[in-house]
Amino acid sequence: MTWYFLRRLLLIVPTFIGITILVFVITRFVPGGPIERMIAEAQQASLQSGGGQQLGEGGQTLDEDQLRQLEEYYGFDKPVLVSYWEWLLKVLRLDLGTSTRYSEPVWDTILERLPVSAFYGIMTMLITYFISIPLGYWKAIKHNSHFDHASSFIVFVGYAVPSYVIGIILLVVFAANLEWFPMGGFYSEDFEDLDSFWQQAEDILYHAVLPLLAYVAGSFAVMTFMMKNALMDNLAADYVRTAIAKGLPFRKAITRHALRNSLIPIATHFGNNISVIIGGSFLIEKIFNIDGLGLLGYESVVERDYPIVLGVLVISAILQLLGNILSDICVAIVDPRVQFK
Amino acid sequence: MSASSRPLLEVRHLATEFDTEQGVARALDDISFRLEAGETLGIVGESGCGKSVTSLSIMRLLPKPAGRIVGGEVIFDGQDLLQLSPDAMHGIRGNRIAMIFQEPMTALNPVYRVGHQLEEALLLHKPELDERQRRDACIGMLEKVGIPAPERRLKEYPHQLSGGMRQRVMIAMALLCDPDILIADEPTTALDVTIQAQILQLLRDLQRENGMSIIFITHDFGVIAEICDRVVVMYGGRIIEQAEILELFDHPLHPYTRGLLQAIPKLDTEPKSLLKTIPGMVPSLLDFPPGCRFQNRCEFAEPRCREETPPLLGEGHQVRCFRAEEFR
Repeated sequence: MTWYFLRRLLLIVPTFIGITILVFVITRFVPGGPIERMIAEAQQASLQSGGGQQLGEGGQTLDEDQLRQLEEYYGFDKPVLVSYWEWLLKVLRLDLGTSTRYSEPVWDTILERLPVSAFYGIMTMLITYFISIPLGYWKAIKHNSHFDHASSFIVFVGYAVPSYVIGIILLVVFAANLEWFPMGGFYSEDFEDLDSFWQQAEDILYHAVLPLLAYVAGSFAVMTFMMKNALMDNLAADYVRTAIAKGLPFRKAITRHALRNSLIPIATHFGNNISVIIGGSFLIEKIFNIDGLGLLGYESVVERDYPIVLGVLVISAILQLLGNILSDICVAIVDPRVQFK
Repeated sequence: MSASSRPLLEVRHLATEFDTEQGVARALDDISFRLEAGETLGIVGESGCGKSVTSLSIMRLLPKPAGRIVGGEVIFDGQDLLQLSPDAMHGIRGNRIAMIFQEPMTALNPVYRVGHQLEEALLLHKPELDERQRRDACIGMLEKVGIPAPERRLKEYPHQLSGGMRQRVMIAMALLCDPDILIADEPTTALDVTIQAQILQLLRDLQRENGMSIIFITHDFGVIAEICDRVVVMYGGRIIEQAEILELFDHPLHPYTRGLLQAIPKLDTEPKSLLKTIPGMVPSLLDFPPGCRFQNRCEFAEPRCREETPPLLGEGHQVRCFRAEEFR
């Protein structure tokens, strides 16, 4: 078992290199980049200053020398693989480079957003599990009842409507019209002035209600039905009949015998959730104006801020790879039949 | 055994129905039999004849909400099991009446150790035992059912055992609380022949030791012949014949029983000769013909068989056929 997981951990290295090299190469060949963006900005600036005299030099705001300096600065003067190698060496020293847009270390930018995304991710996951497992349990036991049908309807609506649409509806109804909740943001502007930890926590939760609803609405359908179907299968299983024939009351036969078997597929899903969830949904972050990793990644792609794009990629790739291994560990914990060699 | 003394278990006019997509199916109709202390009663019949439903009805384990008992009594130890509260029934199941099933591969929970599943029965019915006593009882019982190295087996999971071993574990689990009745629902059907013989021998030995009664459900007359004292033959949810084992094999009265016994290949039949079979198929429970349920496959059927249901008649050897006297 230990050997198996050791091997899985070692396999992260080539996978990681594969993922990053692919994205790194793509960033080189996609039109547009930090230099082009800078040129455009400089043109914009000179147009606004009403000048136009500098445009006389062949329509270029930057001369050859400056361009070469910039290329050298961003590492564009070397072949792709050489600069990838240099980037990789820096990553190994935990240096993700400097953002071309903010001129700040990428690490700082990411670390600033990570807690926000992690908060939403972990909360969404906890709420999803706390709703899905009991709901799926009750739906399985009350199969074909009014409760089952009504909850299925709600679950399917939540699944069918995209989460950003739910987000917008929630915003319009509960923030704009009813004014029960704030319009967006992670916390209030006077957050720093709040005295106690509890007031700060309350402020964050107050801001989190609507976005969390939007996140959860989309994610609990799959889990709920996975739970319900797994439990229904197990309720009909022979060993549950054995347990009842042994003298266990029906309810106890479920909670002691069927439930644990039904959690196996849920456990398989667990690791995958972690990576997806910490990545966040840039659409929901955008709607609710939350500065999370999803939004950061999306904006840096649009702005061709490659160091940040690659930085976000590094974080999410490692989380995804570790998440997969975590899934396997979870499955091995709940299902003794699973043996890794 | 005298018919006048009170039997250990007496089933009277038991009737069970199932809701199906096509309507209500009467899976059991007027089932009556007695089980004496220490005897082995065989219930034999084709798939769908109601033999398993009979055992599930006695244990009140019918799948809900589709199945329900609509009439009759199951008198065990002076009380009607069908009238007991659910809690009282929990105290009977696994304690006074235990059950083993056909599929040992799936009848044990795959995620719990064998020891845990064995001990559960003791925790439920013998809460006065402490951990050490429970463990000793489990080890002792595993030894009794012929499992080598029982201490080690307690720590293993079901998937680490073979099919025969698992059925032995099931038997051990059923017998831990020393039940009065063991209901064995085709316990050897899924096992290969040598293991089957071992399990039958084991059940016989255990019965001799603790004096329990066994209700043995099977479709295999060979198994019936080996283990049973008395046999109930079922067809289409009704008992069509019941008798002492030798009496039934020597003088089968119902055309169906005769057909079944003739369909068993014997060592002295001519090799490669055609095996006798019963023509036709068992109709679905929903569209049995009126009158005798076997009449559309019966070579002796007469007009009366299509109109009236023959009663189950006879002392000791009972049969449900208008023309049975002709075969006596």
